[in-house]
Amino acid sequence: MKEKLCSLQEAVATYVHDGDVVAIGGVGRNRAPMALVREVIRQGKKNLHIVGREKGMEFDMLIGAGCVKKVSFALVSLEEFGLAMNFRRKAQAGEIELDEHACNSVITSLRAASMGLPFLPLRGMFGSGVFEVSKNLKEIECPFTGERLAAVRAIKPNVTLIHAHQADKYGNVRIMGSPFEDILKAWAAEKTIVTVEEIIDNDEIRNNPQLTSIPYIYIDAVVHQPKGAWPASCDSYYDSDIEEIKAYAQAIKSPEGFQEYLEQRVLSRRD
Amino acid sequence: MAEYTTAELMAVCLAREISDGDRVLQGLYSPLPMMACLLAKRFHAPNMTYFNTADVIDPEPKKVPFSTAGPALQERAVTYIPLWQTFDLAQRGELDLIFLGAAQVDKHGNTNLSAIGPYEKPKVRLPGGAASAHLCAIMDTVIWIPRHNNRVLVEKVDFITGQGYLSGGDAREKAGIPKGGPRKVVTNLCIMDFEPETKAMRLVSLHPGVSLEQVKEATGFELIIPSEVKETEPPSPEELEFMREIDPKGVRELEFH
Repeated sequence: MKEKLCSLQEAVATYVHDGDVVAIGGVGRNRAPMALVREVIRQGKKNLHIVGREKGMEFDMLIGAGCVKKVSFALVSLEEFGLAMNFRRKAQAGEIELDEHACNSVITSLRAASMGLPFLPLRGMFGSGVFEVSKNLKEIECPFTGERLAAVRAIKPNVTLIHAHQADKYGNVRIMGSPFEDILKAWAAEKTIVTVEEIIDNDEIRNNPQLTSIPYIYIDAVVHQPKGAWPASCDSYYDSDIEEIKAYAQAIKSPEGFQEYLEQRVLSRRD
Repeated sequence: MAEYTTAELMAVCLAREISDGDRVLQGLYSPLPMMACLLAKRFHAPNMTYFNTADVIDPEPKKVPFSTAGPALQERAVTYIPLWQTFDLAQRGELDLIFLGAAQVDKHGNTNLSAIGPYEKPKVRLPGGAASAHLCAIMDTVIWIPRHNNRVLVEKVDFITGQGYLSGGDAREKAGIPKGGPRKVVTNLCIMDFEPETKAMRLVSLHPGVSLEQVKEATGFELIIPSEVKETEPPSPEELEFMREIDPKGVRELEFH
């Protein structure tokens, strides 16, 4: 096992490249890898294809900052705090390509990639405009039963970004709450960066291997980043920072407001 | 009779769609479905299984969180379960109900959460339908609408994100999605279901204080009005007490501000 501890700057500079397919961990504003996302913005990455099921502030911020050319998603929203206005504005202006999905078709895309397959079948989807407009969902017939199914094309991320609770310096990762699709995303990707609340000893991993969510073979960089999900939540460590999310929801109502937020809370700071 | 809010009435209406023993999934940004699942489990459906987007089974939160995928919705759960495993259950036909929202819903229960105007050049790009395009095709759904008006309840949605009964009648069977479909639509004014033959939306009950004229005026298509229209049963004092106990911050009211 190789040691993989590095700084946030180093991890992003090494493993995130312009044009990459980037899967992002967490759901809604829960365990989103916000420190990584802010660093991607600070490093001015471009033309990213971002992938996730139900995403919020992190997708909206990357889109608003001009890092994104394509979005594979089932929902982009700030939940009860309002609309993801950067997503809305750029989509309406035709400045980002939308690859709209149902939750399970995004997940199935990643499952296919994690299994090394070009696609997987899914039941349902027919009759929805999402199926009709998609380039990545096609009707197939089961060769055994004749059932009509939707084939979901694999999405293989170049890099996955996740925030977790604990890891050792080799990248044995513990998610001490719901894994959402983070494990799948790490399996599916060529490279995975994990930020963690705590670095723990390798002996602790070895004494309780049943607690390892993702073993080191799927992890390329480990960053010690306490509060790395802020202002998103990190289950059992901290809840989401509602005031900060409200401030973001307010700021993105205008492009100018967003620029000011970006300047003050992202570009002029370090995580 | 106890005073209650529209949100509280709607939460109870959704809860009553859950039968004892049902397996029910609550999605993201779903404050009323969250309340409905907790209400059902506490009162009339103690043996229902409650799945949610915090990715757990049967949590017992002391207080409900703002985000319906928030950590408080994991408290005292029996297990974590990744959502894709819950979707696997749905695909096997072993999930009974999900509650889904919509920006538009039409007379056959199709829902739109994608775009107002042409899809490729939308006037308004909406957030996306989350699980809709998959789950609406394979299982029973109940749609909740906090603002019943004729921009939301329309003759035909601009884009079908979630499949209702498509063009009505046997259109689902023809499209290859024979199972499930929208069972009820619960709004701030009334409860509706679908006439079995045409699969067109039909009034079931009016909420207390709401007139038939009010509902007709707020609906952008001709709603089927049966000969008998009941009044929606209001929440019981016990249900109200329970909601206020677990939700002191008023998460259930978020969609009504």
